[in-house]
Amino acid sequence: MTDVRAPETDPFDPAAERDDQPRPGSSSPGGTFGLADWLKWAWRQLTSMRIALILLFLLALASVPGSMLPQQGSNPASVQQYYVSHPALAPWLDRLGLFNVFAAPWFAAIYLLLFASLVGCVVPRTFRLAGSARTLPPRAPRHLARLPRSAEYTIALPPGDAVEVAARVLSGRGFRLRRPDDADLAQDWVSAEKGYLREAGNLLFHLALLGVLVSVALGGLFGYKADRLLVQGQSFADTVSALDEFHPGRFVTAADLGPFTMTLNRFDASYISSGQQRGQPSAFDARVTYTEQPGGPARTFDLDVNRPLSVDGAKVYLIGHGYAPEFTVTDARGHVVYNQPTPFVAGTSGNFLSEGVVKVPDAQPEQLGFTGVFVPTAVNVGGTLESVFPAADNPVVSLIAYAGNLGMDSGAPQSVYQLDTSAMHRLTTSPQVLQRGQSLKLPGGRGTITFTGYVPWVSLAITHDPGQLPALICGIAALGGLLLSFMIRRRRVFVRARVGPSTGSQRVDTTVQVGGLARTDASGGFEAEFAELAAELRSAHEQAAQHRHEGE
Amino acid sequence: MLRALSPGLRRRTVVLAAAVLAGVLLIVVLATGWAGSGNDGVTTVDGNASAVVYAAGHRPLAPGFTATTLTGSKLSFSSYRGKVVVLNFWGSWCVPCREEASTLAAVAAKYRPPGVSFLGVDVRDTTASALAFTHSFHVTYPSVSDQSSAITLDFTAKVPIAGTPTTLVVDRTGHIAGAVFGTVTYPDLTAILAKVG
Repeated sequence: MTDVRAPETDPFDPAAERDDQPRPGSSSPGGTFGLADWLKWAWRQLTSMRIALILLFLLALASVPGSMLPQQGSNPASVQQYYVSHPALAPWLDRLGLFNVFAAPWFAAIYLLLFASLVGCVVPRTFRLAGSARTLPPRAPRHLARLPRSAEYTIALPPGDAVEVAARVLSGRGFRLRRPDDADLAQDWVSAEKGYLREAGNLLFHLALLGVLVSVALGGLFGYKADRLLVQGQSFADTVSALDEFHPGRFVTAADLGPFTMTLNRFDASYISSGQQRGQPSAFDARVTYTEQPGGPARTFDLDVNRPLSVDGAKVYLIGHGYAPEFTVTDARGHVVYNQPTPFVAGTSGNFLSEGVVKVPDAQPEQLGFTGVFVPTAVNVGGTLESVFPAADNPVVSLIAYAGNLGMDSGAPQSVYQLDTSAMHRLTTSPQVLQRGQSLKLPGGRGTITFTGYVPWVSLAITHDPGQLPALICGIAALGGLLLSFMIRRRRVFVRARVGPSTGSQRVDTTVQVGGLARTDASGGFEAEFAELAAELRSAHEQAAQHRHEGE
Repeated sequence: MLRALSPGLRRRTVVLAAAVLAGVLLIVVLATGWAGSGNDGVTTVDGNASAVVYAAGHRPLAPGFTATTLTGSKLSFSSYRGKVVVLNFWGSWCVPCREEASTLAAVAAKYRPPGVSFLGVDVRDTTASALAFTHSFHVTYPSVSDQSSAITLDFTAKVPIAGTPTTLVVDRTGHIAGAVFGTVTYPDLTAILAKVG
């Protein structure tokens, strides 16, 4: 994957690796490209940086429909809405998995391939970097004057002593040294290299990257996401049957949910009432009471946007709110068959003009259904109701009544926001507008519906991600490693000493050559460092020569 | 620094990377097949995985609770000790609950003489809607209100209740002996009762 170093060639490492090039030597001698060769080639391709980048780009591209189109997981009501408004297009989008992008097979394919690519790239590279961090400097090249930086001077010291002095100076400067071994006959040189921390940083970066991948996988396998709509005054327990949506990780079962219970005591939303920003929310406050364990002490908390509650290892976020008008329905016998706040969902038209349905499956003699619109601050604009402010200053509802079969006695589970009117007939020709406290008498003595008031609701997202903290730590470590590998450069210094040139005097003359090169010297500064080092070496040599002279 | 590794070492790292990847894939595959694995002491009824009987010794103790019935009286679950109880988690809003309602009423009528009690736990519902439901389906046994799902939560710690409806059969000693996850059928429920009763 990403190599934090710029591509480079090393004068001492002619065999710099190119992973994404088919190697001539890898095919069999006969020139045929067998299955094993194809597999090897495919693996090399997959783990190349180019493919990893393409996959990363694809992943980003594939996420686009997830944010453009309504998603089944996060907003099933909007998906239903999309089906209604685009009846021809929606089934095709569904077939392509575009309403559930993050669970679609093609999305999983991209993700898994990217994962494979990263693992296949990072693991071998980690070994390589670990090896590189342990290596000794290379042997001193023969012609130091050809290196980017070099210096030369003569000194009255035997070559062996001169190298010894140089080694002491370089070692004192924190260089890792290499001296001639038996294979180098009787040569006098020392190689020194510094900046191994760069490799350590690089290694840290790659290991941390693997850590991030593992953390994300951890979150996916052992975490969960859930949604719950909670009407003011109601309670819920964190158990699957009390959640509206539940997306568990692979290893999460119903028993793994934190057993907390929560009550919404009160929800307040304030809006700016004048000026350009009129109607914009200024503050939210959801006061909840919760207990961490059944029978545990009750605590209160004020949920706000971006102020989640941490409970039982899970985080509870406030992600939305709306109005739930309260209705009471009596049927033909005069029995109260429905009496509850009913969450309505705000549409796109603004100012919380909200839509919802009331289903009364146990009304006699026929089931009743209502589609309704809740208008928090209603004004009549040419015969149609519009909401001019999001707060409920003049709340009205507008209802259309149906009777017949709701389709709730068999078949597929229904959305609580959709009324299937295919087996029902309309009882009212036009929408009936009700103020708070007003009733609508249904024709044929079928009963009445009364709009008794309204309460707010909030929607909560409950998430548990055990990979969050490890991912954060690994992310910081990756950044630290990256900085380390950018700021520290590897540099090598070589010192050679040989006898001569002879000046004819009695003194032993030795030519000292100093050469140096820095790799990836992006930030510069090696020139000055080398000059300083060469001067230090020279003065150390002169001092040693002085001592020797005095000693004689 | 990009020191060429010896061919042997290079091959080893490739093999290692492949092994790591294979491990990851194995985990994914195992995880995918995880849902089907079973526990000790659980037998299915008529091969139906959603209807199970727990063998003696593997029966979790049912949690106790005290709650208000739909008609407003207090009910303590401990008063059922010594009887076989069918505990049905339901809601008037729930389509499969409406589907199974007449089955439950029929089984309740048949097993009342041998002394099997039925008790409903009405989940996420209102009293008005729930009472209208019991009238529609002629439900004669009592139900307690579990608007906040607190009772459901207590039972979820013992058996994996993943939604409504769920039906549990509690034996005479107060242990959960059988369960139907999802819509109850007449043969499943009577088969469980035959093994527990």
